Amino acid sequence: MEDMIQMDRAMSTQQDIKIRANGVQVYYGENHAIKDVSVEIQDKTVTAFIGPSGCGKSTFLRCINRMNDTIDICRVTGDIRIDDEDIYDPRVDPVQLRAKVGMVFQKPNPFPKSIYDNVAYGPKIHGLAASKADLDEIVEKALRRGAIWDEVKDRLHAPGTGLSGGQQQRLCIARAIATEPEVLLMDEPCSALDPIATAQVEELIDELRQNYSVVIVTHSMQQAARVSQRTAFFHLGNLVEYADTDKIFTNPEDPRTESYISGRIG
Amino acid sequence: MIRQVRVAQSGMAGDQMSNAMILLIVLGLGAVGYFLGRRRALAKVGGDPRGLHSLPRYYGANVAMNAVVPALVLLVGWLIIQPIVINSAVSGMIPESAVSEGSSISLLMSDVRRVADGLDAAVSQGVMTEAEALRLDEDAVKEALAGVGVALGADVTAETLAAAQRYREMAGTGNVLKAIVIIGAALIGFAVAFGRTTPDFRARNVVERGVMMVLIAAASIAILTTLGIVLSLIFNTVEFFRLYPASQFFFSLSWNPSFSGRGGGSELGILPLLWGTLYISFIALLVAVPIGLFAAIYLSEYASKSVRSVAKPLLELLAGIPTIVYGLFALLTVGPLLVQVFGDDGALGVDWMQGGTAVMTAGLVMGIMLIPFVSSLSDDIINAVPQAMRDGSLGLGATHSETVRQVILPAALPGIVGAILLAASRAIGETMIVVLGAGAAARLSMNPFDAMTTVTAKIVSQLTGDSDFASPEALVAFALGISLFVITLGLNVIAMMIVRKYREQYE
Amino acid sequence: MTDASLHKKGKSLLALDARTKKRNAAEARFKGYGIAAIAVSLFFLVALLVTIISNGVPAFTQTYVNVAVTLDAAKLDKNGNRDIDDIKKVSTFGYKPLINAALVDAVAGIETELSDKDVGKILSASAPAVVRDYVIANPDQIGETVAFRLLTSSRVDGYMKGRVVREDLARDKNLDAAHLDLIDVMVGQGSVERVFNWDFVLGADASESRPEQAGIGVSMLGSFFMMLVVLILALPIGVAASIYLEEFAPQNRFTDLIEVNISNLAAVPSIVFGILGLAVFIQFAHLPQSAPIVGGLTLTLMTLPTIVISTRASLKSVPPSIRDAALGVGASKMQAVFHHVLPLAMPGILTGTIIGLAQALGETAPLLLIGMVGYIATNYPDGVASGFLDPNSAMPAQIYEWAKRADPAFYERAWGGIIVLLLFLLTMNLIAIILRRRFERRW
Ligand SMILES: Nc1ncnc2c1ncn2[C@@H]1O[C@H](COP(=O)(O)OP(=O)(O)OP(=O)(O)O)[C@@H](O)[C@H]1O
Ligand SMILES: [Mg+2]
Repeated sequence: MEDMIQMDRAMSTQQDIKIRANGVQVYYGENHAIKDVSVEIQDKTVTAFIGPSGCGKSTFLRCINRMNDTIDICRVTGDIRIDDEDIYDPRVDPVQLRAKVGMVFQKPNPFPKSIYDNVAYGPKIHGLAASKADLDEIVEKALRRGAIWDEVKDRLHAPGTGLSGGQQQRLCIARAIATEPEVLLMDEPCSALDPIATAQVEELIDELRQNYSVVIVTHSMQQAARVSQRTAFFHLGNLVEYADTDKIFTNPEDPRTESYISGRIG
Repeated sequence: MIRQVRVAQSGMAGDQMSNAMILLIVLGLGAVGYFLGRRRALAKVGGDPRGLHSLPRYYGANVAMNAVVPALVLLVGWLIIQPIVINSAVSGMIPESAVSEGSSISLLMSDVRRVADGLDAAVSQGVMTEAEALRLDEDAVKEALAGVGVALGADVTAETLAAAQRYREMAGTGNVLKAIVIIGAALIGFAVAFGRTTPDFRARNVVERGVMMVLIAAASIAILTTLGIVLSLIFNTVEFFRLYPASQFFFSLSWNPSFSGRGGGSELGILPLLWGTLYISFIALLVAVPIGLFAAIYLSEYASKSVRSVAKPLLELLAGIPTIVYGLFALLTVGPLLVQVFGDDGALGVDWMQGGTAVMTAGLVMGIMLIPFVSSLSDDIINAVPQAMRDGSLGLGATHSETVRQVILPAALPGIVGAILLAASRAIGETMIVVLGAGAAARLSMNPFDAMTTVTAKIVSQLTGDSDFASPEALVAFALGISLFVITLGLNVIAMMIVRKYREQYE
Repeated sequence: MTDASLHKKGKSLLALDARTKKRNAAEARFKGYGIAAIAVSLFFLVALLVTIISNGVPAFTQTYVNVAVTLDAAKLDKNGNRDIDDIKKVSTFGYKPLINAALVDAVAGIETELSDKDVGKILSASAPAVVRDYVIANPDQIGETVAFRLLTSSRVDGYMKGRVVREDLARDKNLDAAHLDLIDVMVGQGSVERVFNWDFVLGADASESRPEQAGIGVSMLGSFFMMLVVLILALPIGVAASIYLEEFAPQNRFTDLIEVNISNLAAVPSIVFGILGLAVFIQFAHLPQSAPIVGGLTLTLMTLPTIVISTRASLKSVPPSIRDAALGVGASKMQAVFHHVLPLAMPGILTGTIIGLAQALGETAPLLLIGMVGYIATNYPDGVASGFLDPNSAMPAQIYEWAKRADPAFYERAWGGIIVLLLFLLTMNLIAIILRRRFERRW
């Protein structure tokens, strides 16, 4: 395990490291959900987390923007750094952190507000817009980047909950990128979507790679293979293998990875 | 220990006894029927229950049911119909001319009933014999009845006495007939069911059909209750509007019932009462809604599990305290306290408050009473907002309060509006706090430290005073009651619709 | 990439920017409002409880004076033949001088400016009746000197409890400061003492002029008979209605009508039920006014919706598999419900019923309209029938009655009555909680 990480590090020196996790442990009460995970996530890359259900993918993802703080019984130890700053440092305000590390959830969760207000919500609370015109511009840009502008530009003030599932999820992505995050975490963003909507979102993720470091949890091996450059395989709370996506899917080192890829465990 | 002389009870007790006797006999027949029916069924198959269509106890139950149920239904029907028949027969005896100015046939009828009841009481207490009671003339009657503790207001006229005698006579015959018919019905039911007890008889199906009828009847009581409320309100209100113009009731700005008790000179406008009601409810909501809402927000969004598990039951304790306690708290504690601050020589020296009872007193205490109501409803509603909404907002870097204010509350708004409407309906219908804490004077004033009165408080005072039941001063309470019923029902229906819609949104 | 984001990019997470500080302050404020709301509610609760307890506890003790009264045969039995009818002819006025004399004797050693006649004012007006009742019960004691423990007047009692202070007496024609001096000495001697007031808990109400004698016992019985009516009627009817609605009712208009009615009745103001009780049970059915049976019937109608709602919830919580299992072995639907579903739902039903009863026990407004207020409950019911049918009061109505009386000494009784009422409610709710804890089943 140790030397695997060494190897990774050597490989990734060409790319900037955005997130560096070291010896992360997560407990839900007595339940040890993440066991000593260390990983380095590169900037401007899509990183996929795969693994069987309950192995701790979501849990680890939620550590990166401290969403786990909202769960009373959850305890995180170890060290996670973004741009070399410890995000669990007592001086760090999770609110500021989450502005920098956006998140998209498994089920589309638009607020029961208009489409416009959904996207404008983040910029408003973070004070990113100086004026109404500014805000309009931010909203439009986010919706365009979310690849949904053309579908909603005529009904910006209709409720966001009235959109189709795929549209809702793209709206949520647009909402997340409207706050100009640097990292985008996506927890199974396509699991509630049909294949067409999934294709649209995957396309979007590929574009987002230009500007962001994207981490995506997925249950679909094909999806991981399609959208990601790096893949991490979790099993029972352990990070089993972390390497270039091609390598994981063609030539995995760990037998557990192999059996998962070939559908024997999970 | 001194025992007060007991207020003599009218002929009621005897009447009740005979009803109780009938009931006992019918139930006794049922019990006997159960055992006999069961035994007969078993006897028919030589003691081997396998030969029966149903279990033996169903045959017993069938006999008991047939004996008891029709008889009881008859009894209830009889108890309802007999007074109506007698009343209409007797009131037919009173000539139009006997109804004096400022009186009404129903007033006279209540005199008739009182005389009749008084005579019954006199006979049952042994003050006079039945024969004496029949021969009594109108001059002696008042005295005789005073002797058994029945006070009569006006003098008894010959017509009244004759009517009263007729009333007694009919009631007597009716009671005898009642006993015969009802016990007869029980016996017939018994006999028929007993005769039908054969091994092939499908006793279980029959009994189950009977039980089903009972279940349906029980469920229908809800409808009957509503019907009872509506009818009793409507009948008496119509009666009231015959004696007092409806336009005055709805639009007059003054409430000033005369105390003579028998009509004339009363001003019975609902508006000052409505004003008091709404003013007090408004203040109550002003207290309860912010406190209740913030308490709910804190408990459902911020409080740790342990704080929640302590604070929530404590809040519910406030909800479990009877309103009489709040009434007393208003009258004896909050009122005097407010006077000390806002009264004549009060701490502020403002002299806004004359006495302890005031809109503010009642409103404040009612607000305290409503806090747990608002908070537990809001708590439910806030908890119904899906966690995904919170995650979505927090994930964007919103603070918790921003999430609550800008995402959760707007999402929960319809539900919270519904909760507030329900609380308003509670406030409007609340009685004890205003009876004790608000004052008795009907007043159209803006000063929240003035004593005012409410619809509910006046319902109580008009129906517990000395005024005759048939006078407009008493009947107005029913008109007030129907207004209250309509207002609260409207609020409840709207609130429930909103809340249901809201719940469905997140199903 | 916009300027704004470029600007943001370089920023460290470790330093709070001004905007975040401001937002955090708003957060703290908001949370503060929540805490304040909880604190205010709890403050009200504490204020209420403190008021109740501090005002109500004194009602549970009462001041008595111990005097030895000589039952003078010359006055109580002039003929000397101990004929009970002759003894009964002596009214309480005949006893007053005897008691007064006894009291004067008792304070003989104490220096006081009071005339002999005035000394008697420290006693309750009920004292002669107590002695008279004793004599009638024990005619052989005439001529003896018997030790009595007699009630003091409510003013003296108030003085002992700190409710009445000397300044108040300036306007009081019934008691002087000299009386209080006397009391102070007698307390020192031990002839005046405060003891637990069983008469308050078990006794009957007294007339307006004798607050020291008033008790809540009789109205407690009134409440008891009312609750009996509610229990006997509301439980079976409520359960039957719920079984029909939950297990058998077809989806049709009639069922909808019932459901709408029940949910609306649950929110109808209680005073409206009072009007219903007045119109239907008294005006129409001519049941006796002020009788517990009428109160019980009225409260039954009021409690039914509560019981139906909670019963349906418990029936619903019994999983369908139980019904299927019973039907599977050939039981009829009715048998499945009565043999299997109902017993399983019973703890929940009982819990709901107890809570409904507790609600009914504290309810006052409907009782006002059916005449349970204004009736002075001075008599214990003679038996079960009279318990249901004879006029009586009920605990909350009695409390209201006391609160309305002019003499502030009754306020203490009212608060004391509230303590008794709350103890009952607390017990009932505890039983409900224990039932729920003990029998709660998770499927
Ligand atoms: N809020 C929570 N409270 C307690 N335990 C939790 C909580 N969330 C997750 N867990 C536990 O943590 C472990 C990891 O859960 P996690 O949701 O991270 O798995 P996952 O890999 O995302 O699974 P899936 O693919 O099904 O989403 C599981 O054992 C789960 O039971
Ligand atoms: Mg997951």
